[in-house]
Amino acid sequence: MSVSELKERHVAAIETVNSLREQLKQKRRLLLDTDIAGYAREQGRNPVSFGPTDLVCCRILQGHTGKVYSLDWTPEKNKIVSASQDGRLIVWNALTSQKTHAIKLPCAWVMTCAFSPAGQSVACGGLDSVCSIFNLNSPTDKDGNLTVSRMLSGHKGYVSSCQYVPDEDTHLITSSGDKTCVLWDITTGLRTSVFGGEFQSGHTADVLSVSISRSNSRMFVSGSCDSTARLWDTRVASRAVRTFHGHEGDVNTVKFFPDGNRFGTGSDDGTCRLFDVRTGHQLQVFYQQHGDDEIPHVTSIAFSISGRLLFVGYSNGDCYVWDTLLAEVVLNLGSMHNSSHEARISCLGLSADGSALCTGSWDTNLKIWAFGGHRKII
Amino acid sequence: MEGQHSVSSLEEPKGDEPAAGETSCSVPRTGPNKFLSKHRMVAAITLLQNQINFIQEELDQLDTFGESSIVCEELLSKVESIPDPLLPSTQGPVNASWDRWFKGNQNSRRRWI
Repeated sequence: MSVSELKERHVAAIETVNSLREQLKQKRRLLLDTDIAGYAREQGRNPVSFGPTDLVCCRILQGHTGKVYSLDWTPEKNKIVSASQDGRLIVWNALTSQKTHAIKLPCAWVMTCAFSPAGQSVACGGLDSVCSIFNLNSPTDKDGNLTVSRMLSGHKGYVSSCQYVPDEDTHLITSSGDKTCVLWDITTGLRTSVFGGEFQSGHTADVLSVSISRSNSRMFVSGSCDSTARLWDTRVASRAVRTFHGHEGDVNTVKFFPDGNRFGTGSDDGTCRLFDVRTGHQLQVFYQQHGDDEIPHVTSIAFSISGRLLFVGYSNGDCYVWDTLLAEVVLNLGSMHNSSHEARISCLGLSADGSALCTGSWDTNLKIWAFGGHRKII
Repeated sequence: MEGQHSVSSLEEPKGDEPAAGETSCSVPRTGPNKFLSKHRMVAAITLLQNQINFIQEELDQLDTFGESSIVCEELLSKVESIPDPLLPSTQGPVNASWDRWFKGNQNSRRRWI
């Protein structure tokens, strides 16, 4: 076949893709007879109502000297690892506010951190394109520093996010500026699978976030600068199970819903969205004007343990608490007098039992929030 | 899949989302100074063909999925059945350790910092 014939086929193929995508969009639109908020209102549900002293800041974790970029709770109740612009990881006992480890990183440009399921190791990654593992029980060197116990090398771009596979201390998944996600075997330091990449049907821009399903640890979602989120099956690296369109900007954060059948996303377009894994339906858009002219970006999200609350951190320092079912903002942790962070909230996470929310901020602090009011049991 | 050759030469400069959506392939540029290998074009076309198959698959699947209201119903009942320590009003049972963040002050469960 000649070059010009190939060119024609290429143009024809693009036209077919575009036309099919439009058909898909239309067909999906027809199936969206309601969103969650519409359905919940119809069923007579009212928004969650917080009193002024219900959700309170009960701990401040101070110690970082730079912006906090990432945090992760351990599955065991009270420990948190945080990563900061100051080039350190700190491991905290959130209940006592004590620091149990302060790890000086070989590469200061860290973007993400994660706790292993058994709580014995932490992982981090960043601009060095490497995911480094530290064993918290290892002896320290002469300067009192923990040394790296394993380096996971292979990404051709920055490591934006990492998460251990639930209940598996030996595997984790990273996302990267090289447009791929990778499943790693920590024991060998080798890549088990690469999701996306140059010759595969994956993300077409930097991948910024991953979240692994707790109910089915073979499934994970990724969010990217290509404005999409993608669902992957770790057994099939060659293509995503499904691609979720809708956002109009970088998808900075993705998080599985507690039941594992839905996931949330947050984007530079200022919205969060809830998607259904099985059908691909976009179930809800969460957007509220913040009062400024510029639309603040969503930096981080987390669901409460039932999924009823969606906590969202924004680039302007707001931290909205959304009622997921009614799609209404019921609280703003970013405007609570004397308790709020003084800068952008960059990361959020719930404790394993759902009793506490940790927020990390560019103001260098982490804060723990819990329910201190009167609880009504139904 | 044949993908031994880079398709990067077919990429447009970064800008709006490319027309083809899933890939960043555009109409290959040719000219006196740009020779594009046939292999690269075939690789790009193969990628696009995969996209076409995936989208067609999804279109077919949609016939079996049903409306969003079905999912909403399931979601609502699921969410309301799970005890949630951060809600003012929630299903039981309560776990006493939920309030460990406020222990140590015998007089009040409330803390302000």
